Amino acid sequence: MLNLEDVIIRYGFATAVDGVSISVEKGEMVALVGPNGAGKSSIVNAISGVIPVASGTITVDGASAQVPEGRQMFANMSVDDNLRLGAWRVKDRNPAAIYELLPDLARMKDQKAGTLSGGQQQMVAVGRALMAGPDLLLVDELSLGLAPLIVADLANYLTELNASRGMTILLIEQEVDLAFRMCARAYVLEAGRIVASGASATLAADPQLSAAYLGGIEASADRKRLK
Amino acid sequence: MNALLIYVVSGITIGATYALIGSGFVVVHRVTHVVNFTQGTLAVFGGLISYSLLSFSIPHGLAEALAVVLTGLIGLVFAFVTIGKKGTPPLTALLITLGLSILSEGIFVTIWGQSPIAPEGLDGATIILGASIENQRLLTAGISAVAFILLGIFFGRTYLGKGMTAAASNPRAAALVGIDSRRMGFIAFAIAGMLGGLAGVVTAPFSPISFSSDLPLALGGFAAAVFGGLSSPWLTVVGGLVLGIGGQLVAGYFGGSYQTVAALVMLLVVMIARHKSLSAEEAK
Amino acid sequence: MNPPVKRAIPTAVVALIAILIPLFLNDKTFYVQTVLSAVVVVGLSLFMGYAGQASLGQGAFVAIGALTVAVSTVSFNVPPLIALIAAPLISAGLAYVLGLPLLRLRGHYLAFGTLAVLLLVGALMGGVPILGGGAGIVGIPSLGIGSLVVTGQLFFAYLALAVLAVTMVVSRNVISSRFGRGVRAVAGSESAAASSGVPVLRTKLAVFALAGGCAGLVGGITAFFIPYVSAESFPPSMSFTYVIMAVIGGLGTLWGGVVGAVLVSVLVQALNTISNVPGTPPIVGTILQYAAYAIILILFLLYMPRGLWPTVGDAVKRRLAKRVKGSQTDYSDQHA
Repeated sequence: MLNLEDVIIRYGFATAVDGVSISVEKGEMVALVGPNGAGKSSIVNAISGVIPVASGTITVDGASAQVPEGRQMFANMSVDDNLRLGAWRVKDRNPAAIYELLPDLARMKDQKAGTLSGGQQQMVAVGRALMAGPDLLLVDELSLGLAPLIVADLANYLTELNASRGMTILLIEQEVDLAFRMCARAYVLEAGRIVASGASATLAADPQLSAAYLGGIEASADRKRLK
Repeated sequence: MNALLIYVVSGITIGATYALIGSGFVVVHRVTHVVNFTQGTLAVFGGLISYSLLSFSIPHGLAEALAVVLTGLIGLVFAFVTIGKKGTPPLTALLITLGLSILSEGIFVTIWGQSPIAPEGLDGATIILGASIENQRLLTAGISAVAFILLGIFFGRTYLGKGMTAAASNPRAAALVGIDSRRMGFIAFAIAGMLGGLAGVVTAPFSPISFSSDLPLALGGFAAAVFGGLSSPWLTVVGGLVLGIGGQLVAGYFGGSYQTVAALVMLLVVMIARHKSLSAEEAK
Repeated sequence: MNPPVKRAIPTAVVALIAILIPLFLNDKTFYVQTVLSAVVVVGLSLFMGYAGQASLGQGAFVAIGALTVAVSTVSFNVPPLIALIAAPLISAGLAYVLGLPLLRLRGHYLAFGTLAVLLLVGALMGGVPILGGGAGIVGIPSLGIGSLVVTGQLFFAYLALAVLAVTMVVSRNVISSRFGRGVRAVAGSESAAASSGVPVLRTKLAVFALAGGCAGLVGGITAFFIPYVSAESFPPSMSFTYVIMAVIGGLGTLWGGVVGAVLVSVLVQALNTISNVPGTPPIVGTILQYAAYAIILILFLLYMPRGLWPTVGDAVKRRLAKRVKGSQTDYSDQHA
């Protein structure tokens, strides 16, 4: 479904992504984790086609849609308008199907997107991406700035989307535990390179990996205690 | 009372011109963050082209409409030059539009000469509230009002209009959703061209235009647009009306030569007084 | 020969040529006006290059300088030398007052703001009697101290040249001083400069006032050189020309301002001469003066936005570097 081969992304003379290869099969939910500045957003923006790659190839089997970092609402426009605009590239601009999937959105449809809470905006962002009828959903930092309960709700929703409707999802996340819980397989990105990949359980259980890239075993134990 | 009414009415018609030109500034700026110096130039194109079409015996109504459409196309050409090349910063784009206005002045003089031209307008006058008001002025007010309403409907209710607003509101999300900001910019220029052209078409019959009219028209339109922080079309209309009516009152009671001074002073005062809120607008 | 002396040679040659030219000219008006416009453009180019904003009405400050001289000498019998000194000070002051609110805003507000001031000054010159009352101010006395009075154009030619030289030296020192480092920081990235503690607004204001002062001094000198000051002497097109000179020469560089002023002045004069050749239809003149001029500006903006001086300078530097270093390429002056 998604294939990145030896992708290099540069900004001026700085190399943000240095030869990254990722593949995601149809129906999978795969995580891309790593610290801030590792290059995750660059990869996602390259897949979405908004930034160019310096070398390497990206192939997507169908259309992709992105749920961007920070929600990126059209703040002065209504929820309904935000959703309809999500369908810019496709013929069907009726959000009825999305309202069925996400009934909470229907209740807010005439509210200005800028007035919604973070969690509500995130739902709108997901709905807007789904309006494009994508085969691949790219979710960039779902948990950013949101309370754990809200994140849990959204996470369940995405998991449901993947499980029952077979939506292929690439989840970009700083929150490693969340990512490993939601996705069976993961890539770890550090300073523009993939440093580890494989089954989430295996990656989580590797103490060296945890210490080096995933905040350490102490940090992950801390995270478990807070939840 | 008669005199006051006449000043107010002519003020409204002049204000409508400034408001139309100002709306052109707003449309382009909202979508592209460029200040289009050719807004006044486009008004001159509108008036002069309308004059020429009428002189080819094209009937009233059709000639003016055609002039507006052609000016829209000219706006599109300006767009290609100004924002067609990727990565042109807004300051450079402003200077490019300055170059385009100089180029256009050459075209004006070459084709239409240097003397001011007034195309034929509506004849006669109507008596309203005891004052005799030229029909052309009433037409101007009416058409401008319709234009603003259509503009509001376009941006508020049509999909394309919403897309353009989105491109201005959040370029990143717009790009993700597939909105091509450059294409939206071209459309904005075309709309601004039509607005400017309309301004020229309705105003030229009673206020003859020539190659040198572009600067005062641009300044007046810019003053109206600044009233709305270069982003609110409704405040632009208010600004245009204040400018037009205020200018006429000053001209009536203090003498015509102070009308320009009044407009310029208002522009400076508004910019200086609102500088805090204007920079807050820009930061959004 | 050591490097600083070597580098001074081209400047010395140019200076020598500049000093010799007026001696061979009968009518030195074009020379004086070109050199004076270079003074305005050097200041403007610095402002536009470092503050990243355009002043579309820089002629306003030239006009204020001219008015200062004209009004004070004619209506208030101020001694000419004092009037000349006052001209740049008053213009710089006006620039400061105008810049205070407007420089906080995005570029287009200042661009139109200075244009509005220019037209306002013009309108006042047309209406207010003491400012010319439509007929202009005449009878400006000759420049001089006491009984020692200037006659002839040669003095003005060298005065203009001296002013240009001083302007360039002052500007160069300003830019390389500690203050100048702040200016360059603002030019690079305002937010970065602000977070490093550079007072962004004050820096821009200072450069704007400097540019205004240069323009004011030019206005003052012009009032003595051509002792007639009226609104027609300062049309908007002249202000646009200054901007065009600054852009074509190269924003933010000293020699760019000079190169731009000289090239554009010569270009305009050439176009004028061609269109005045007997037998040329007037349409050619119009086309040349408006269209050719505008198209050249647009092409420069699109394809050589940094202007002639930096672009040519870079190309020359790269050629020299290649010769010295062989196959090693020099990335040091490329920016992202």
